[in-house]
Amino acid sequence: MATLANLWRRLTGALGKTDQQALEERLDDEIRFHVEAQTEKNRRAGMTPAEARRQALIRFGGVEPMRERARDQFRSFRIEHLVNDIRYGLRSLRRHPAFSAMAVLSLAIGIGANAVIFGVVHAVLFRASPLVEPGTLVNIYETEGGQRFGPLSHPNIEDLRKGTSDVFSGIVASTFAFAPLDRDGTSAMVMGEAMTGGTFAILGVKPVLGRAIMPEDDVARGGHPVVMLGHGYWQRAFGGDPNVVGRTLRMGGRAYTIIGVAPANYYGGTAVLTPSFYVPMSMANELMGVDMLDQRDFHSFFAKARLSPNVTRAQAERVASLVADDLTRSRPEGWIVGRQFSLVPTADVQIAPGVDPLLQAAVWLLMVVVGLVLLLACTNLASFLLARALDRRQEVAVRRALGATRGALIRQLLVESGLLGLAGAAVGFVLALGLLRVLLSLDLPLPFGFRLDLHFGLDSKALFDWRVLALTVGAGLVAGGLLGLVPAVQGTRAADLGAALKAGSRGSDAPGPLRWRNALVVAQIAMSLVLLVGAGLFLRSWQQMLAVDPGFGRAPTSVLALWMPVSRSTPDDAAQLTRRVLERFRSLPGVEAAGLIYPLPLDFNSSFTEFTIDGHTPPSGRDTFRAENARVDAGFFDAVGMTIVAGRTFADSDRREGQPVAIISQAMAHRYWPNGDALGRIIRRPDPAEPDLMVIGVASDIKVRSLSESPRDVVYETYTQGPGSPMYDFIVRTTPGHAQISSTLIAAARDINSDLQVLQATTMAQHLAMSRLPSQMGAFMLSAFAAMAMALAAIGVYGLVRYTVARRSREVGIRMALGADAAGVARLLATHGLRLVLIGGAIGVVVSLIAARFIAKLLFGVGSFDPVALIAAPVVLGLAAWLAAYLPARRASRADPLAALRAD
Amino acid sequence: MAKEKSDVLQGTLDMLVLRALQLEPMHGWGITERIEQWSEHVLQLGQGTLYPALYRLEQQDFIKSEWGVTDNNRRARYYSLTARGRRYLNESLAQWRRMSRAINLVIDATT
Repeated sequence: MATLANLWRRLTGALGKTDQQALEERLDDEIRFHVEAQTEKNRRAGMTPAEARRQALIRFGGVEPMRERARDQFRSFRIEHLVNDIRYGLRSLRRHPAFSAMAVLSLAIGIGANAVIFGVVHAVLFRASPLVEPGTLVNIYETEGGQRFGPLSHPNIEDLRKGTSDVFSGIVASTFAFAPLDRDGTSAMVMGEAMTGGTFAILGVKPVLGRAIMPEDDVARGGHPVVMLGHGYWQRAFGGDPNVVGRTLRMGGRAYTIIGVAPANYYGGTAVLTPSFYVPMSMANELMGVDMLDQRDFHSFFAKARLSPNVTRAQAERVASLVADDLTRSRPEGWIVGRQFSLVPTADVQIAPGVDPLLQAAVWLLMVVVGLVLLLACTNLASFLLARALDRRQEVAVRRALGATRGALIRQLLVESGLLGLAGAAVGFVLALGLLRVLLSLDLPLPFGFRLDLHFGLDSKALFDWRVLALTVGAGLVAGGLLGLVPAVQGTRAADLGAALKAGSRGSDAPGPLRWRNALVVAQIAMSLVLLVGAGLFLRSWQQMLAVDPGFGRAPTSVLALWMPVSRSTPDDAAQLTRRVLERFRSLPGVEAAGLIYPLPLDFNSSFTEFTIDGHTPPSGRDTFRAENARVDAGFFDAVGMTIVAGRTFADSDRREGQPVAIISQAMAHRYWPNGDALGRIIRRPDPAEPDLMVIGVASDIKVRSLSESPRDVVYETYTQGPGSPMYDFIVRTTPGHAQISSTLIAAARDINSDLQVLQATTMAQHLAMSRLPSQMGAFMLSAFAAMAMALAAIGVYGLVRYTVARRSREVGIRMALGADAAGVARLLATHGLRLVLIGGAIGVVVSLIAARFIAKLLFGVGSFDPVALIAAPVVLGLAAWLAAYLPARRASRADPLAALRAD
Repeated sequence: MAKEKSDVLQGTLDMLVLRALQLEPMHGWGITERIEQWSEHVLQLGQGTLYPALYRLEQQDFIKSEWGVTDNNRRARYYSLTARGRRYLNESLAQWRRMSRAINLVIDATT
């Protein structure tokens, strides 16, 4: 009875004596009354007082079990019950700090990894859209043959607008706009967006301050310099000043009146780079210093349209295709024959229909990987809980024998594992915050200094979203609850309890739970091996990519992207200015060579040209060949370390009035003139805006679009012959002592013309790193998660072996006392764990071989069967597992045998 | 353990307890006495099951309880039916009668 009272006191120990106390008193009173009434009746029937009471008590039956059950009935819905269980659970977890810490740490790693990935994915892909009725919005793209879902040109949008007024209630267009923005005496390039007036009204977006850009703001070209601020820029540059409306912003030398602020969840027309500001479309030409609105071949506009009521997307697409057919018939300058418009529901587009599948594949891979990590963490928890249940069989048996109901015990055990889950979630969340901070502080070699905006406005707030929090807490509770259920139900089964009581303090060897634990460890090893092999493959892929020679930029080289407003000058003046900049750069100390190119190879931009060559027939269905196209100067090839393998480079004599000339890539020369007689041949171009070119040289091959491509056909033209470009990348090769030359270059460029704007100042090494970024990120992320998985598996093995050792301590003591040597005992104890590792490893290798096929597409330069990854991963995992198994075994074998024997 | 058995009987036990309370409020001991009396001493309620049942029925809002004083001036807990309990009792009784009639028909069938 003392034990029960003790237990009861412990159960209720810290609880407030309110309802609990009242219930106890009521129970006592009722029992007393009942027994007394029965005694009275017995006495009246003629029994002696003592006999009467004895019979009454017998009749009543066991008081304590009845009380326990009555309590259960009474309190089964009471919150105190839970509070009680929680207090007891906390105390119990505190009593086993090593067990609790390992379980919480395991879960925290799994949940933390998931929270951060889910938080980022959610913030980037599934962010709330401010668009009203997105179901009736469509994105419009230009499509032609292989090139699908391209951006539009502005004249095409205007023709669409005229021809589709029956099916669309409005079409809105946007384009990126870079503007030199003067603030506090300094000038910096800022990225914004030009948008059709009335865009917000059509999309149903409301500005948070002031008003949006209206149709009347967007009438006359350059006529209405007003600007709406992006929410992020408003916060950054104006500190969220509520009185910002009415002030001015100086951009491109003109004052723009601030009329409003866009809401925080509006990410611009493309949802990729969040614009800092928005200006009316009619200001685009002036702001950018280039005619973009009237060029039909200037494809850099994004369009959305609102379907009229009762019009389907298919109907609208038919009407839009009629507009395209009309254009193909009338063939205005710059319209590409056969182009079509395609409509995609806005709600279906994350970034762009062409990019989304790749993005989704990457996201899925990431989710699967972190899901696996969480699964591993859960197996650890399950394994620990099973072990705990085994150890607690005696406690459970005693409590059942004393009258606790099975339900109450299961509830108690579940509360305990639920607490572990919650603690894991809490620690995991803190871990996730740290991880996100590390991710955000990574200095990715991103272009244009868009650091803030390219992070998609991502900060630690991304994790404080209710969905992320719900996932975190939910994962913890589900993990704790579900995983606790099996051992709780199994461990309280009445049939097993007698055995548990008899077996005494040592507990019996219950083969069931132990088998489960073994299976869990095998699964863990297998899973983490799959992740390790995956990480190995990505690391190998990245290594291969590092080894790729892009064909240029091997020497230390600075890259300076300069932007000059060509529309404010004649092409010849612009070329003149460009030449002066080049000459100035070449004269600077430490500069070995300088040149220019646009577009820069391995950048986001690329450009192609269409042509025919005498004696060659274009592929069926096409009238022309295609090749990459870039505009360079004579010094470019030397500056980036390419060689002219035949003929000559450009010269000052190649002028606008003279014969238009070209240098072609070696691959192109081989394709069309395999006999090596390319020089002097003519490249004919059907587009009247592009003259026919004479080949004067052949340049060594380079990678143009991606490092994994095979050599491409490239046509280089000289900047002195075509129309001016507003932007060039200046390539400046320096002597070893002058690597940090960027600021000197910027100062020199500004000195020549203050209108020149620096879009980007970087080095060739950084630029090349950018093109390797996806595979580098993939390799590093996967490696990080694989390392986590391996750590979790090692914890699992460690826990199992330590547990086995603890259970076999008596046996160890006997063996040692009989003269077994420590090393032999350690081996014996570790053997069991290592056997499981071997089985898990074998399964893991097989699964890896299958899984590797699915990621083969994402790999570069390695097959899915890569011996290096397939050997290295098991070796690394094997070492970790061996350590995890051997350490606790060795410790046990060093213990004093007498102490081990006495311990029981 | 006996739990499984009482699970089967639970519905019946609840019905008997509610039926005992149908006429007037009563304390726990009174309920056992009344059931014993009505059943001509066939049904002897184990108190180990009575009080848990009473507490459960109170939780389910079929009965309510308050302290009262017995004829010989002793303090006792009196249980009485709630409206909900009365409805539940009528339903259970109707069902029980249907059931037992059917069983009797089967048992007494001669052909």
